[in-house]
Amino acid sequence: MDYARFARLRGPIWESFARDLAEAKARPKALDYEALENLAFHYRQVLHDHALAVTRYPGTAAAKRLARLALAGTNGLVRAPTPPNRGLRHFFVRRFPEAFRAQAKHLIAVVALFAVGAAFGFRLGAVQPGAGISILGPESIEGLEQGRLWTESLVSVIPPSVSASTIARNNMSVALMGWAGGALAGLGSVYVVALNGVLLGAVFGVTSRYAMAGLLLEFVVAHGPLEIGLILVTAAAGLRLGQTLVVASDGPRREGVTSAAVQALAVLGGCLPWFVLLGIVEATVSPAPTLPFVVKATLGVSLLGAFLALAWGRPEV
Amino acid sequence: MEGFSQAPAGTVLALDNVPLQLPLARAATRALAAFVDYLIVGVLVLIWSVACAAAAFSLRDSFGLWFLPVYLLGLFAMEYGYFAAWELSTRGRTLGKMLIGLQVVAADGAQPALSALLVRNLVRSIDIFVGVPLMVLDPLSRRLGDRLGGTVVVAMPREADEVMLERMPSGWGGREIALLEALLMRAEELRPARRSELSERMLNWIDRVDPGFINDEVRSRDALTTLRRATGFARA
Repeated sequence: MDYARFARLRGPIWESFARDLAEAKARPKALDYEALENLAFHYRQVLHDHALAVTRYPGTAAAKRLARLALAGTNGLVRAPTPPNRGLRHFFVRRFPEAFRAQAKHLIAVVALFAVGAAFGFRLGAVQPGAGISILGPESIEGLEQGRLWTESLVSVIPPSVSASTIARNNMSVALMGWAGGALAGLGSVYVVALNGVLLGAVFGVTSRYAMAGLLLEFVVAHGPLEIGLILVTAAAGLRLGQTLVVASDGPRREGVTSAAVQALAVLGGCLPWFVLLGIVEATVSPAPTLPFVVKATLGVSLLGAFLALAWGRPEV
Repeated sequence: MEGFSQAPAGTVLALDNVPLQLPLARAATRALAAFVDYLIVGVLVLIWSVACAAAAFSLRDSFGLWFLPVYLLGLFAMEYGYFAAWELSTRGRTLGKMLIGLQVVAADGAQPALSALLVRNLVRSIDIFVGVPLMVLDPLSRRLGDRLGGTVVVAMPREADEVMLERMPSGWGGREIALLEALLMRAEELRPARRSELSERMLNWIDRVDPGFINDEVRSRDALTTLRRATGFARA
């Protein structure tokens, strides 16, 4: 069949399909069974004509028109099903734990780096008075000398609902930096982990000089374990991404990077809801003076435990 | 299936395994549509901010700092609500997308599920920062929301780009026909001298391959007019 004949013979079917489809989209409830069957029949014809036009008359007006109609028909008549095992539940039960387990080695490395940074920072804060001023600022040090922790002002002047969102956003920013730092061959992730380790250690070191480390521990024990856990987990995802950028593997580098990037995204997505919970705990539970240390510590350990248990998931045998 | 696995990105299998190439919208086009949408959201946010500021000023004694969370909640509802409401009600189009000619579709070209449209808009705030790099790196130009929702954005072809010819020189294949159609379609955009030159060359070519195709009835002094008459050119 030559092109002109093809377009002349089949043209009326395409026009009829375009007309009926527009009508069906405008008034879907007015569509009866016969009209729907007719539309489906024409859709099938349009698809077959499209396949023919792409093969024999590529780039022609008929091919362009059929491509448009085939796409409009597919979009108008086919609705993507929501697979029962997909969606958010599938993500948190399958995809996130898979991605989390895949980066276990990197997590161990990141934890070790954080611990070394914290030990160094503690030593620095405990023996160098200047370090305290440069890390916490002169006002906080003045407060410590008067027996006050700077954390009191963080949550006492603004409502918990506001401070919770601010804290959650701040934590997410740190975690995002660690995660995105993987793109710099992992150096950004290493920097964020080491810096946070040093800062945390130094803060405890400084407060221990004023015999207030216990008070600080009481403030952070409810949210600290999960907060540090989340930052380290997201940084480990960034580190893994950085490793695939630098270290060659058996497969093509592009595939490796793509796979690591998808898994890093899954880890980040899985951590995000925990940041919201963390912000609420940090703004409401941590500063509550009436809650005993044991309750806060139990909550802190439970939160981290729950996160790790859900993140590790149930490996398929 | 081996051949299909080598198909370009965005090729999906429709009914009866007919390959369908999705005209994927690239990062720049999507950014343009988003810019239009955010202009509208910006106006809404401005109105909301002024209203909140006025309310906070007049009712500060009763509500104090609680206005701030209400304001932030409103901001989120405005940004998320605008995109989600438009995409749900039009099945994948916002005002910006309509203007540029874009549409959200499922990964197989089908109509996306409602849940997919809701999910893809949840992470819009994150996508403001990471969306463009992700789209540039991804062969399917998906941002984070698209990946979570299982959607892609396509640039719907316009009808105005199509032209139908009633007659063709015998023996011509797709390439030659596409060339003639392109000339007839874009002739008005060419400079007159170039238009005449190309039309003359096309006419000579047709006279060589199919001498009887152009008869005296349709022949005119202007080569382009002759081509249009001979082929029964009409815009769609």
